[in-house]
Amino acid sequence: MSIEFFLDGKAVTAEAGQTIMDVARANGIEIPGLCGEKRISKTTSCFVCVVKDRKTGKFLPSCSAMPSAGQEIDVTTDEVLEMRRTALELLLSEHNGDCEAPCTLACPAHAAVEEYVRAAGNGDFETALKIIKERIPMPITVGRVCPRFCEKQCRRNIDGEPVAINEFKRLAADKCYDSYMEDLPELTGKKVAVIGGGPAGLSAAYYLRMQGIKAVIFEQMPFAGGMTRYGIPEYRLPKSLLDKEIAHFSKMGIEFSYGKKLGENLSLNELKSSFDAVIVAVGCWQASGMRCEGEELATPGIDFLRNVVENNCVAANPGKVLVVGGGNTAMDCLRTCVRLGSPQVICLYRRSEAEMPAEKIEIHEAKEEGVEFQFLTAPVKLEKRNGKLVLTCQKMTLGEPDASGRRKPVPEIGSDFEIEADTVIAAIGQKTDVPAGIPVNRYGCLAVGDDGVTVGDGLYGAGDCVSGAATVVEALASGRTAALAVVRDLLGIPMEKDNPINVSRGKWQDLSKDELVVLRDNLSAEPREKLSFIPLEERKTTFKEVCATMSAEQLAKETKRCVECSCSDKADCKLRKFAGEAGCKADAYSGMRQAPSYDVRHPEIIQDRGKCIKCGICVKICKEVVNKSLLSLQKRGFASCIGTAFNQGLPESCRECGECINACPTGALDWRKKR
Amino acid sequence: MSRISKLKIGLASCGIAAGGDAVLEALKKATDLPIAEVGCIGHCYAEPLVEACLDDGSSIMYGNVKADEKSIANILSLGESGRFEIPAARKAKELLKVLALAGKIVPTKLEDYIANGGYEGLKKALTMKPEEVINEVKISGLRGRGGGGFPTGMKWGFLAAKPGFDKTVICNADEGDPGAFMDRSLMESVPHQVLEGMLIAAYATGASNLVIYCRAEYPLAIKHLKIAIGQIYDAKLNVFGDRSVEISIKEGAGAFVCGEETALIASLEGQRGMPRFRPPFPTDRGYQGKPTMINNVETFGNIPVILRDGGDTFAATGSEGGKGTKLFALAGDLKYPGLVEVPMGTTLNEIVFEIGGADREHVKAVQTGGPSGGCIPVELFDTPVDYDSLRSLGAIMGSGGMIVIGKDRCMVETARYFLDFTHRESCGKCTFCRVGTTRMYETLERIVAGKGCEADLELLEDLGKKIKAGSLCGLGQTAPNPVLATLRFYRDEYLEHVNEHKCRAMQCNALVDIALDKDKCVKCKICLKTCPVNAISDDFIIDPSICTRCNSCLDSCPKHAITRVAKGDK
Repeated sequence: MSIEFFLDGKAVTAEAGQTIMDVARANGIEIPGLCGEKRISKTTSCFVCVVKDRKTGKFLPSCSAMPSAGQEIDVTTDEVLEMRRTALELLLSEHNGDCEAPCTLACPAHAAVEEYVRAAGNGDFETALKIIKERIPMPITVGRVCPRFCEKQCRRNIDGEPVAINEFKRLAADKCYDSYMEDLPELTGKKVAVIGGGPAGLSAAYYLRMQGIKAVIFEQMPFAGGMTRYGIPEYRLPKSLLDKEIAHFSKMGIEFSYGKKLGENLSLNELKSSFDAVIVAVGCWQASGMRCEGEELATPGIDFLRNVVENNCVAANPGKVLVVGGGNTAMDCLRTCVRLGSPQVICLYRRSEAEMPAEKIEIHEAKEEGVEFQFLTAPVKLEKRNGKLVLTCQKMTLGEPDASGRRKPVPEIGSDFEIEADTVIAAIGQKTDVPAGIPVNRYGCLAVGDDGVTVGDGLYGAGDCVSGAATVVEALASGRTAALAVVRDLLGIPMEKDNPINVSRGKWQDLSKDELVVLRDNLSAEPREKLSFIPLEERKTTFKEVCATMSAEQLAKETKRCVECSCSDKADCKLRKFAGEAGCKADAYSGMRQAPSYDVRHPEIIQDRGKCIKCGICVKICKEVVNKSLLSLQKRGFASCIGTAFNQGLPESCRECGECINACPTGALDWRKKR
Repeated sequence: MSRISKLKIGLASCGIAAGGDAVLEALKKATDLPIAEVGCIGHCYAEPLVEACLDDGSSIMYGNVKADEKSIANILSLGESGRFEIPAARKAKELLKVLALAGKIVPTKLEDYIANGGYEGLKKALTMKPEEVINEVKISGLRGRGGGGFPTGMKWGFLAAKPGFDKTVICNADEGDPGAFMDRSLMESVPHQVLEGMLIAAYATGASNLVIYCRAEYPLAIKHLKIAIGQIYDAKLNVFGDRSVEISIKEGAGAFVCGEETALIASLEGQRGMPRFRPPFPTDRGYQGKPTMINNVETFGNIPVILRDGGDTFAATGSEGGKGTKLFALAGDLKYPGLVEVPMGTTLNEIVFEIGGADREHVKAVQTGGPSGGCIPVELFDTPVDYDSLRSLGAIMGSGGMIVIGKDRCMVETARYFLDFTHRESCGKCTFCRVGTTRMYETLERIVAGKGCEADLELLEDLGKKIKAGSLCGLGQTAPNPVLATLRFYRDEYLEHVNEHKCRAMQCNALVDIALDKDKCVKCKICLKTCPVNAISDDFIIDPSICTRCNSCLDSCPKHAITRVAKGDK
């Protein structure tokens, strides 16, 4: 016998035995739910599927409630959606796991680190490269110059050194780059102009092409690569490798037009009229001054580096050099001067070593090569005396932390002293020079909308000119975002977004060694593999690449050091999916969480109570479908959990049928081995 | 002069707890007079109680009896000291119907019960048709005394409508509210009365299986019930003409949620005590899949009265919002804690002040319905106590727990205390109840620790409403009540905690210091010796970083020179 009732005001018919959720689904309304399973009796526990009976004002779990004749049910009102969101947020607040691995979350490009490390470790470098290029289209470059955001968040930092993640990119690219070619989709006929052939522009062109949109890159210099070519010295990234990397973009059909500068021989309006969209990725090419008297006598750092590149590393010996600044550009200048034969190279930095923004490894290698450092020293005046440059400096002391969190240097009165030099290089910072006619924000960068790339009127921005001087990997990520925004606007394909729900166990800095939850077997306790360097003398006198790519054998060992932190169920976790769709915040409610308590006593199956939502499906599947009753709910209140008889773990009588694993809405029950 | 013919001693749990056992031994040693071990008369504050029955039919009661020779001799000589009189105000307000025999008869003597009109109701019921019995219950207007307030007659009608006799009637004796002891007292004092109600229900509804689901923490009740059941079998009171009914007791393992009918049934079946979605209701699909009906102990206790006196007579007592009388377990900050029975509709003023003897100046509120109920401020004590008027105040009648809260109690702490109980007792099934109550509890912990903010109050209100709306059973549906009710009536106290980090009741330890008034202090050093953590120096400076605010010094100071003050005050 069928009855009629109303879903959001629309008359619908329910057959005998149908729940409200069944009827809604039959009428094209999907109601999310975590605790339902067709083959078992109702669990009615998650309350994510609530609907509201308009007459009684009561919320009903639609997975269990049968409609009654004439009943008016609200399914998608704000009130109902909010109840659902709260249910999901409460579940997220007790959920204890890592949806994504911390390395992936730390990577500006959100590269699937765990996955490519596993693939490369298994010897499958082609798959590894494919995974890498889904987010990082310049693996040769990034594999060499990245500051390794990922490694800084690697959980192995708890018990030593991080996994050598970046080396995987480098080896995968070194091994397979020549033979690798993307599956390119048909061209759609749409055409986009990209101004600037640095990493942001290259990345934008790459991901446009991957969506069937042709890109033409307009580059002011005679070669592409931007700062990767003109800013990063040969000894860190050999030009031959960079050329190889960029040549691949041409192979993909991306066009390059060199010697084109916006405002000089390139008009924005013309580009706009002959292309479907324009992406501006002009970078940060203007050096900041030392902000002291006589600063014009100093050579800007990036100009110095570019000059060396343009002369194929053949340049005059700069004599005794002072480099002012403590960033990576300063390190590049210092080490380049060493290689050009300078008898003495000194770095002046106004804070102490701990505050230096340059990568620790760069500072270390510069010291190895004989660079001297004078910390807590700031320039006051630069002048020319008797053909020599004389830099008057001031000693500094560290005061209170400033807005950046670093301790602010305060001048010591009367501490002035002079240093004589042949060359003074100012490596203080870089600014962008936004072309005329493009809106600028209050930091002097290109002004974009909330998506970080859209300017409007067919114009987009990407890379350093939007963010200010940053890293290659950030530029690549920004370029990809710009491409996806263009695809959205030209092809109507919604921007693919990473799942916003990322529950985390916490940063390694906040975890103890005991909390380093290890899922996998045979985790290696070996220390991190060492890089091999060319002899120091060769480093100091030539521009040869300083260190070699790690071997496949070394990386196979490194793979075994990876904890594989991410959730085994991240791709099809229903909690994550529904919470993402409902616009939940993972941290809407704070408070205690489930204790992570991996039960790995069974050889094949892992129970992770921290991720359990207590829906009880596994208990009923095992009892009602498998006829085994090996699992049961235990304890009360917040401590409720799924357990086994006498807490003895899953017994041998478990047939490993996988029914509970398949039915588990989260990763609380899973196969031990990640597949 | 009259002489003692018999002694009665109250030996329900309250009497035993107060030392009744020792008094009994002492009496036995001192006299050969017959001594009847009776139940509780409701005046728990006066236990141990001994009643000297005189040969002229009158009796004299002695309260707070000590087991020493002098006290015993005093009773046996009918001495003037230690005599107990029921307070006149209470006598005037109380109406003993269900409790009429409690503490008067020996619970384990069937003949005592029968001699006092027991089983008259069953006898009368058996002369009626089952539907006539149900009709009588309907006429009485009796509503479920467990807290739900569902009309009992209607419930009986649902079960009676199911064909056959393979049906179960369950007595819910899983009294779990902290501070509630109505059911325990009834089962201990008049077990036959409860069983008579169940037998009448079995006859009226056609059930053949009677089960008492009693919490294992009530050993005396279980003992008395078991004896009574044996007596029923012996007297064949469980045989109705050509059919008989089985009576059994199931001891619960102590989960609060098992008071919830579907959870109780699951527990009876040997499963984890967790509620399930209704429908199907137990009358359609209950214990072992068979039609089942669950009534509370007190509900059954009312049935013999209804049958004996007639539904009309029963309905003449009470108010619009509830008929008959109601038992309340009075506890908290009042003079006469104990078990009281009053007509429905009696006001809180009458119960708390006239019956309970609470100090009008000192009372702040009353908590009804235990951890699921709400706090009603003293300003609203003219509210008649029945199902509907309490609900309108965000409280519930519940099973009848009534806790009087004095002005020296912090309402935030009170709410935290109740939520501490409920959030632990959640069965863990529903998301809102399991996680939501925990989040509310943590928020309250923050507030009493002086670490809350105003946004926390919004969180409590928002989550509280959602938990009530998004939980399957009564536990989750009512758990936020103490918080929501205190937020409604005592929001200023919450605001003081979060904005000024002050607890006006000086109860929240994190917001309080202990101060010593040097003018009052006589330097006796008792406080120094009492302090368990040596927080007081030789020159009487209390170190707040060591002090645990345990109050030992306050309580020990003969000059009341030590007080709790707002943190930072001297």
